[in-house]
Amino acid sequence: MDEEFERLFKRIREIERNLREYIEDEFRKAVRSFREDIMYIEGMLAPMWHYEGYLRPLYSIVDRGSYYEINIDLPKADEQSIDIRFSSNLMYVRARLKEDVGFSGLSGRGGEARFHEYREVVELPIRVDPQKVKVIAKRGFVKILIYK
Amino acid sequence: MEVYREEWMGDFLVLEYKPIELQKPSYAIISLPDTGLVGVISAWHITKALQLSEVGGLDSYTYLPPIVVVSNKFLRTPIRVFSGGNILIIYSEFIPVQQGLLQLSKILVNYMERKGVDYVLLPSGMPIQNRFEVENLKTYYIATTPKALELLKNMDIEPFENGFLAGPYALLLKEFTRARLNAILLLTESFLEFPDPEASAKNIDVISRIIGRHIDVKELLEQAELIRLRARDAMKNTLRGLAQMRKDVEYAVPLHT
Repeated sequence: MDEEFERLFKRIREIERNLREYIEDEFRKAVRSFREDIMYIEGMLAPMWHYEGYLRPLYSIVDRGSYYEINIDLPKADEQSIDIRFSSNLMYVRARLKEDVGFSGLSGRGGEARFHEYREVVELPIRVDPQKVKVIAKRGFVKILIYK
Repeated sequence: MEVYREEWMGDFLVLEYKPIELQKPSYAIISLPDTGLVGVISAWHITKALQLSEVGGLDSYTYLPPIVVVSNKFLRTPIRVFSGGNILIIYSEFIPVQQGLLQLSKILVNYMERKGVDYVLLPSGMPIQNRFEVENLKTYYIATTPKALELLKNMDIEPFENGFLAGPYALLLKEFTRARLNAILLLTESFLEFPDPEASAKNIDVISRIIGRHIDVKELLEQAELIRLRARDAMKNTLRGLAQMRKDVEYAVPLHT
């Protein structure tokens, strides 16, 4: 009799574990899907250009162990005007273009706008001590090393 | 432009605006969004430099987003086909969802066979971590047949011998190998996450020597910064697709070589 109860409880625990794993898995999928939706909506509402005349640059953040490496693509930017500032875990990027740029041939939307600078606010994985930052600009790219 | 011929191949609609007849030996260049948009920028420049005309397109209501391309008042498909002389170019700035990529690869194999294409060239990029510092970019190749390999004789490019490939060109390579089609994958060192016209210029130089036609890359290099600026949206969209295709695997070191 005891053995039968033992088997029954074991089976109940197994079902309980499977159910918990199933719920956790479904929850993770739902969260991932929700985050993707939010990302697409954010992208739709905040395109890579703004009608007031600024562009948003492409950037990447890579964890290199002892430091974070942030690469920013700033084609046609005037290197002397590149302005990088930090506040808490935010990085503010601004750079003037060497000359105004337009997307000729594009109807409406960005077609009539002229762009004169880059602007972006990047959320960083850590709070930044500006003393531990190195910025290198070359050929329209900027590499920023943030030491941990 | 009126449609001369249309055909459903699986879930893809194949359109032709006029008969496509290629001179011999014929070459097809397939450009899909991948590392640094190297293939897309290469194909875009070749199309312009050789003044190829748009002769067809591919679309899918299942595997591509509901997009129509408007070009000089004409409605075009997201995957466009350009041709002229002995060159055929498949050009897309949109990457089909992963499930559709396999079907597209099989359809492209079938399409190349039907058009009697002799050689297929797949220009792409190979991400390197220190691209920021590197100015002399190396190009590697993978050829699917000995006949394709013959084309690369006396060229200063290196064989890609060991490592992983991921993404649309990995699938195309597998399908072209299975079909025993003469295909060459060109991998030039490039940025992964930023458009890389310099890497494209290096690929074009190799393609130019393969097809035996001069393609000037001076304008491409002069306009490189403007192209990077214009390609930001295409690059951003591509990165989402590449992340789903486990592009990170390319940096991994295989245990068994």
